[in-house]
Amino acid sequence: MAQLYYEDVQEGMDLPTVEETPTTRTLVQWAGASGDYFELHYDKDFAQSMGFPGPIVHGRLEAAFLTKMLTNWIGEKGELKKMSVQYRGNAFPGQPLKMGGKVTKKSVEGGENLVECQIWVENPEGRQITPGTAVVALPSKS
Amino acid sequence: MAERKTASMEEIKALEGKKSEDSMEIDQHMINLFCQCIGDPSPKWKGTAPPGMITTAMISGGAVFLNIPIPYQRTVAAGADWEFLKPIKTGDTLHTTHEFFELQDKSSDKGPRALMVYKSSHKNQKGEVVAVSTNTIMSY
Repeated sequence: MAQLYYEDVQEGMDLPTVEETPTTRTLVQWAGASGDYFELHYDKDFAQSMGFPGPIVHGRLEAAFLTKMLTNWIGEKGELKKMSVQYRGNAFPGQPLKMGGKVTKKSVEGGENLVECQIWVENPEGRQITPGTAVVALPSKS
Repeated sequence: MAERKTASMEEIKALEGKKSEDSMEIDQHMINLFCQCIGDPSPKWKGTAPPGMITTAMISGGAVFLNIPIPYQRTVAAGADWEFLKPIKTGDTLHTTHEFFELQDKSSDKGPRALMVYKSSHKNQKGEVVAVSTNTIMSY
């Protein structure tokens, strides 16, 4: 994992995207690994009773994919400080999801080199179904 | 098929401030399961939990622990905020306080709708706050 430094980052730059295609198996795996056994994510009849065509991907799994994108980007010495997401659309098992982001602000506060980003999960139609923001701290080369 | 327990807006509003506490020891097996699931094989997560683990329901899912009734039969996650304050190491015991913070009536001409806001504070065995989180559920 390459180390990212504060000096390497410019406002407006894109974060390296990550693509994932969670399957039904992934959702079962996530239920066990995360303790989220809400039937909406594996019971087709339950999902349809709630007005969905079938089980949907856990929003928290999408959030976890975003944390992976961020921690891979910032490297071993970077720190993920904050993350916020809004779940505005649904993802379905078998659909490829693209996690992306853009740097919006750099600042030095309290001795920390902070980088603010917009982040998102995009569905195959190109819609940002889970937009959000994140703050990371990066080491300096100096 | 599972049925969710429902109650009136007034009954749920009266539950604002209800808290529950939970403790959990973090071990490498839990970390490995999480990392396998999201496809993150980074060696960085040997002995240290990825911050993303805080996003899991078993750690920050206040709705799971507090079992507050919902106003309407349908629910989905609406959003979440996490603040990652200190690293979590294997062998740490996380002590989490979950609170049902607020019920917001968002009904409109589109129909009945409410937001249920849960806040969680996560401390390690030394009493240090390692993370705080807010999770919002929409019931409609």
